[in-house]
Amino acid sequence: MTEVEHLETHSLRVGVERAVASGERFAGAWASGGDHRASWRALLVSPHDLRVISCDASAGEVESIVDIVEAAGWDEREAHDVYGLEFAGHAPMRALAAHPDDPELWMTPVTGEGVHQVAVGPIHAGVIESGHFRFHVVGERILAMDPRLFYKHRGLERAAEGRQAADALVHAQRACAACAVTNTVAYAQAVEDARGLEPDRDLRMVRTVLLELERLYNHLHDIGAICAGVGYAPGSMAFAALKDRAQQVNMSAFGHRFLFGAVGAGAGAAALDASRADAARGRLREMQADTAAAWRELEFTGSLQARLDGIGVLVADDARRLGAVGPAARAAGIREDARSASPRLAYEGFTPASLHAPTGDVGSRLRLRALELETTYELLEEMLAKPLARGTTMRRGATSELGVGRVESPRGATMCAVELDGERVTRLHLRTGSYANWPALAHATAGNLLPDFPLINKSFELCYACVDR
Amino acid sequence: MFILLRQLATIRREAHLTRGRPRSLGIRHVDAGSCNGCEHELGAASNPFHDLQRHGLDIVASPRHADILLITGPVTTRMAGPLQTAYRAMPEPRLVAALGDCALGRNIVGDSTQLVGRLDDVLPIDIRIPGCPPTPGQIAECLLAALNSN
Repeated sequence: MTEVEHLETHSLRVGVERAVASGERFAGAWASGGDHRASWRALLVSPHDLRVISCDASAGEVESIVDIVEAAGWDEREAHDVYGLEFAGHAPMRALAAHPDDPELWMTPVTGEGVHQVAVGPIHAGVIESGHFRFHVVGERILAMDPRLFYKHRGLERAAEGRQAADALVHAQRACAACAVTNTVAYAQAVEDARGLEPDRDLRMVRTVLLELERLYNHLHDIGAICAGVGYAPGSMAFAALKDRAQQVNMSAFGHRFLFGAVGAGAGAAALDASRADAARGRLREMQADTAAAWRELEFTGSLQARLDGIGVLVADDARRLGAVGPAARAAGIREDARSASPRLAYEGFTPASLHAPTGDVGSRLRLRALELETTYELLEEMLAKPLARGTTMRRGATSELGVGRVESPRGATMCAVELDGERVTRLHLRTGSYANWPALAHATAGNLLPDFPLINKSFELCYACVDR
Repeated sequence: MFILLRQLATIRREAHLTRGRPRSLGIRHVDAGSCNGCEHELGAASNPFHDLQRHGLDIVASPRHADILLITGPVTTRMAGPLQTAYRAMPEPRLVAALGDCALGRNIVGDSTQLVGRLDDVLPIDIRIPGCPPTPGQIAECLLAALNSN
């Protein structure tokens, strides 16, 4: 059961201040409840724990925390646009989820001699998700970039409200195909947390295998995407083929290329018998050797390597300040990975990957993924040595109205908060690794050349779908 | 320029050109609010296992170069406008393909105030590719059938 501390409206700010001073980190905030019982809640994490602080928001206004925690900027802007909550001290309050016609209401004001704007999207030239980027440039040099997302806002969180906890899982899954396992495991953990349930060893194992299979095809995809970003077709095709082989393993082992339907809340939804586990393990072993060979080729391809260093730099201080997570943060030297603090999964003894020279550029993000792939192959080799049982949950604690799950996606720590009234979901909030990283991507873009943006973008490879929801 | 484009579009429309026996189709993809699964699989249709291009099926950068508008997702209110703009920008004759169950109006999840309704009611669908998401093989198969029948 996640601890929830209820504070007076004016005390939440102090609570966050104290938490940050004592080393806890902000990991998301969300508005909850109707007009009369509206609340504003924040998730705080320390290396081995997480807790929620909450305050009354029924007056429609709370104090902003962006001056203490810059990473809360998007959370406040979203709650303002979607829940109509006002944040005293957050000025100017720029639109995020809302799409006002007046550009002044959502863009960074950038003026000066020779400054002009380049508008890109929402429809892009390739097969890319919909979203708009507004670049403020002088010549080819980017001064600032405003991402305008939420073109794909489907109202998934709202649509989940009022449904039975088991039926609302699909809302977390549909948020994003490429993070479907992460998002549904986070959702399941949140529901189980609220119900005082804990997964048994089998359930922890099968969920961990599913999460690593998701990471595998995503990291392979992302390495290929960086190759595509510099126009290096042999690399992008080789890794596209490896990604497909990973999805073929998903298909033959769990019946779906994106592992849809393999996660349930409160109990397992997938198992793997000895022969299928062995077959998957054999194919993954072949892939591991082919991945290593393909990666070696990339390391010795001068035309690729020459494009990676010093581009799209995100240094550790900025990564921390902006709340970056996942490969983007680790490539900047922040050794944090939610897998090392996941008692509800099977990651005992896990240590986050770290580079010898974490420079925070495109090259670092690429190399970090290659490094993490080795760990993923090793974990899968070990866990697929035996058949996987479906698993279930056991009662361990009292039930409560609020539960939280936190899972490392291929793009970083994802949190899911679920509020329940009996069996009914009253609030679902999903804050994904992509959501946490978009402000860091915008920051890393500044100072670079406009034609390098696709490469920088691909080196983060953030989802639009699980931000927009 | 716009007057010229309109004149050309009118001439094309009134000429009632058939496709003869074309050996290629340009595809413009528009994500109208998908979960990104269809995008991954459409991309995978160009990977070495499927290589859609060998059949003359190419993803093109602009709707002005496209024969097919390939739409994914349940059509959010925010994407309805850009989708219409892309459709209007296409030369005729043009085809609309709905890729995936969401675009086909099946099992849609979401808040109805954020979605415009069935794609069928927004644009005329010529090619239906079901699946959640359809596999690259299924995508290739449906598009090849369109290539051979149009």
